[in-house]
Amino acid sequence: MQIENEIIKSVSVNQEMSIKEKLGILSDAAKYDVACTSSGVDRKGNGTDMGNTVAGGICHSFAADGRCISLLKILFTNECIYDCKYCLNRCSNDVPRASFTPDEVCELTMEFYRRNYIEGLFLSSGIIQSPTYTMEQIYEAILKLRKVYHFMGYIHVKAIPGADPMLIQRVGMLADRMSVNLELPTAEGLKSLAPNKHRKNILAPMRQIQNGITESRHDLVLYRNAPKFVPAGQSTQMIIGATPESDYQIMAVAENLYRKFDLKRVFYSAFVHVNEDKALPALPGGPPLLREHRLYQADWLLRFYGFQADELLSEEKPNFNILLDPKCDWALRHLEFFPMEINRIDYQMMLRIPGIGVKSAQKIVKARRMAKLDFTDLKRIGVVLKRALYFITCNGRMMYPTKIEEDYITRNLLSVKERLPFDVGTVTYKQLSLFDDVNIPSQSSVMERVLTH
Amino acid sequence: MEKRVLICEDSLEGIFSAIYDAYAEKCVHDFTRIQTRESENLELFTSYEHMVSCNEKAVKVIRMILNQFGEETYLYFCRALATEDAEKANAVYHVLQKGISEQNRRIMEKFSEECVNKVFELSRYTNNEIMHLRGFLRFQELENGVLFARIGPRNNILTFLAPHFADRLPGENFIIYDDTRGICVIHPVGREWFLMDDRDMNESALEHFSEKELEYRELFTFFCEKIGIEERRNPGLQRQMCALHFQKYMSEFTGNVPPIYDKSKQIKTN
Ligand code: SF4
Repeated sequence: MQIENEIIKSVSVNQEMSIKEKLGILSDAAKYDVACTSSGVDRKGNGTDMGNTVAGGICHSFAADGRCISLLKILFTNECIYDCKYCLNRCSNDVPRASFTPDEVCELTMEFYRRNYIEGLFLSSGIIQSPTYTMEQIYEAILKLRKVYHFMGYIHVKAIPGADPMLIQRVGMLADRMSVNLELPTAEGLKSLAPNKHRKNILAPMRQIQNGITESRHDLVLYRNAPKFVPAGQSTQMIIGATPESDYQIMAVAENLYRKFDLKRVFYSAFVHVNEDKALPALPGGPPLLREHRLYQADWLLRFYGFQADELLSEEKPNFNILLDPKCDWALRHLEFFPMEINRIDYQMMLRIPGIGVKSAQKIVKARRMAKLDFTDLKRIGVVLKRALYFITCNGRMMYPTKIEEDYITRNLLSVKERLPFDVGTVTYKQLSLFDDVNIPSQSSVMERVLTH
Repeated sequence: MEKRVLICEDSLEGIFSAIYDAYAEKCVHDFTRIQTRESENLELFTSYEHMVSCNEKAVKVIRMILNQFGEETYLYFCRALATEDAEKANAVYHVLQKGISEQNRRIMEKFSEECVNKVFELSRYTNNEIMHLRGFLRFQELENGVLFARIGPRNNILTFLAPHFADRLPGENFIIYDDTRGICVIHPVGREWFLMDDRDMNESALEHFSEKELEYRELFTFFCEKIGIEERRNPGLQRQMCALHFQKYMSEFTGNVPPIYDKSKQIKTN
């Protein structure tokens, strides 16, 4: 690898790099960004130009890490004047550097899209010269892609904190989604690992984009053909496990981002140790995948199940249960609500029953209008009875006589193996200790002050 | 009472005209089945009848479904009937029959009925494959600039895929070839797409790729390699998200040219 890097570097000095070499360096450098989706906006084709978008997003392939490949995810350049401790591209690292030209970005996008390799482009960048200069480069590439190459597919662009707001506004008229990375859950975390970045500068463009989206929606009501600003909404991401925040703090931040900044998605990225730096945790067990997984489950509960962060966690219980998913965990701590009668309970409450997801709940609500449901019906509908049976009655009866008692149900639920997206055998115990490493008791003073104003 | 089994052709036309006949012949629905294939074991006290497809009858049934149950229900039926499931025709027949007898426009929401669940599940199975192939399908540029994709779907979904790509690539001549069924969709620039049997395909043209084709295939394979995070390596998850029967047709997995058009290998399903 070292030799390979050396060769690539010397090549870059002596002659023009090939497009393959650039693609290698600039996708490698972009891979830690987790925003992979192409969702949020339905746009039919216009009958002439190439491209449309589909609200649900489309996955085009899957990488060896099991993550979806939807967009051509690249950096415009991996040159950077900043020195974020967790980042491979930081200026103090000696790595091969490359930059695309706007035409190269356009051609790759068009040719990949035609072959149905991708759903569109994700363009981010290291900081060259200044945030404004960098944003200008990105703007030029996107402008060309839309106006010269007439690309109508999905475009996700990173807003660079600190760039001229006018530029962000202009990029927003061309992109489907924009995101500003929060980087780390709290301002303290940011200060310790990203000395050139400031929480204030990150939240400012986030607010600007939010306002732009609201205004644009308003304009659309008045004039149907008003140009759309960031129609697929904005997202952000934070690195998990590089700094000592608790799950509770992280969820509270996420909740605020959804509520106060109208974010479409918050992504959580298990910290990957790429730089030797004493400010970074060692993480001998690898990236904290289980923790990341629990955060996504909880995030899902916030967005689609009507939960609030402080129902799931608290100052006294600041971290998720490693062995149980957050919904089961909540149910076990609230046995006073159970059992619930399937033929009567309202939709919102039904969503809180372990073993019943959004899809089954919707089906139940429809089906019970036409007939009283029993356990066979629930099974047909797709309810996971092995989990749900402790929490429900059908026509007043439970499936089996069972104790409604925390210990008893916990033991039984644990015997139903949870399907995790990675190998648990070895991970669980490692993860277990990781949770301990990372979670210094939370202080409310650290809680997001900036976000709660 | 004697049971009746109506055996019909495996096509929308065949199945919908058999449903028409079941009504025309005043079959007792609880004792009648509609199948697209012969039964493996013949049952006693059962009559087996081979039905003739009739476009006119089918159109009448389709019109009735659209009028009485709406487009969404009709699409549920079409997607369910696009599967290879042996019970599909019978399930659609009985959902329809229940909907008619109960005068229930929302019969597809009555999940306490076994047949409703069956149609729902089959429809979802087809839909999942459509969703997957919208992403996993790979076009290759032929020498003459035509984009050619080869897929091996489990369900008969070409007509569901075609509108998506026609909307997305209006300026491209493209062909999507269903390897399992020997049929393809052809989209000529500026015109409506249409279905075609593979008998009329010009095979030799499909063997020559454009100059750039190999280069882009290589670039994308390289990109897929680079974008994965080594520390998160998880081939199990990768396979779960993108099943091997899809990977077989995707150049970033096969590493080179996906197997090209080969008539001898195709399996006719009916
Ligand atoms: S700004 Fe920080 S995170 Fe972004 S490329 Fe530069 S060093 Fe990396």
